[in-house]
Amino acid sequence: MDKAEIISAVKKQVIVIAKQLGMDASGLNADDIIPATGLLDSAGLMQLIAWYEDFYQIPLSQEEINIDNLGTLDAMASFVLKRKGL
Amino acid sequence: MPTPLYTPRVNNNDDYVKLINLAASEGDYVKAGQVVASVETDKAIVDVEVEQDGYVLKVLAELDDVIAVGSVLLWVGATMDETVPDLKVEPTVASQHNGDFKQPTARARILLRKYGVEASQIPTMGERLTAEDVMAWASKRELADHSGENLKVEKKVERRPIAEGKPVEFTSEEHGMQNAVAWQRDHAATGYIEFAYDPKPLDDWALAFQNENKLLFNPLLSLMLWRLAQMAEENPKLNSTIYQDKFYQYDRVNTGFTVQAGETLYVAVLRDAGKLDALEFVNRMTDLQRRAMVKKLKPTELEGATISFSSMARWNVTRHVPILSPATSLMVAHAATINDQAVIGATYDHRVLSGFDVAMVLRQLVLAPETKQ
Repeated sequence: MDKAEIISAVKKQVIVIAKQLGMDASGLNADDIIPATGLLDSAGLMQLIAWYEDFYQIPLSQEEINIDNLGTLDAMASFVLKRKGL
Repeated sequence: MPTPLYTPRVNNNDDYVKLINLAASEGDYVKAGQVVASVETDKAIVDVEVEQDGYVLKVLAELDDVIAVGSVLLWVGATMDETVPDLKVEPTVASQHNGDFKQPTARARILLRKYGVEASQIPTMGERLTAEDVMAWASKRELADHSGENLKVEKKVERRPIAEGKPVEFTSEEHGMQNAVAWQRDHAATGYIEFAYDPKPLDDWALAFQNENKLLFNPLLSLMLWRLAQMAEENPKLNSTIYQDKFYQYDRVNTGFTVQAGETLYVAVLRDAGKLDALEFVNRMTDLQRRAMVKKLKPTELEGATISFSSMARWNVTRHVPILSPATSLMVAHAATINDQAVIGATYDHRVLSGFDVAMVLRQLVLAPETKQ
């Protein structure tokens, strides 16, 4: 599992959820702040985080759910690697 | 003496649950609070914890079994030498479905007891014997209940649809929805009002709150619900219903919030919400919604709302008239912003609240705090 692979997987999921909301997330960049892009609403972001926790098997505490850790594709990938000790 | 660990109820509509995780075997030493099993319905998953330290003496179910709520799941003893009582093991749905017998629903069981008849005596077309089946059967026979009073069955005659079709059973979630919406139909006198407003000040407030607290999720809806909870805390009338011809004022404010998780619509409930500050409320709401998304809500988080909030903004719905949660008098309806204008509305029980009461609530709800009057 490397960073690029995680970014790609998370982006795919963002695209799926955004599509449900009638949005196209294919142009999302790794350092775009996801909540600020308007591609996902709060419930969509929660769907993404629920998927992320389950897919990477990293249960998140309330304190860990913030912009710094999970605000961008890049941050989400780094956080997985950090939590997995990779 | 051995202690039984009973199968918990997951929600009001399901008398059976599926054992999806069994983390203890006979002979294991377990500690109080340890999760030894998980059970699920379509609606939620609940972990089962042992209540005291001890040895698992006997496990009465296997993984993937469908087991009766309230049946003994396993026995725990202080020593391995203790003898487990020789109790009859509760039958599973699967084993009962082997014959012609159809498992009665909880309401049907109450009626069966009332009329002193067996489930096997009553025919049903569905997968389960329902209260309606029992009432229809009893009505034809003018049965008396055990108390000796004559049975009075008032069942509306329902005209069969004219076009060709076939009956399809409800899922447990759909059954729950039927019960939930039936409360409004049967008990409330509903009204609905709405007005348009400029959402920008409220959006700006939510954005500032998000940035200040480094929140990942936009807290707008949670903050609106928090303000509703504050209003209900200050004004008990909003947090009331009518029960047995009297106002019934709830002691605490339990906020209900609709969450769509896949095909499932929940009203997730945050209890004692009127006492929380804004950030605590938002964080608790986030946690509740996340767990709703993965069907990890506890039974107490699926019932007992005293005031509710629903938003269909994410689907770009510009107006919706929600159904009241059972035994509540107000459900706020938030909708999408179109051309810099949004609509806020509410369904209310006119027996408890007037249109004026509700208009005042909605007006306060959409004012940003700086301009609150």
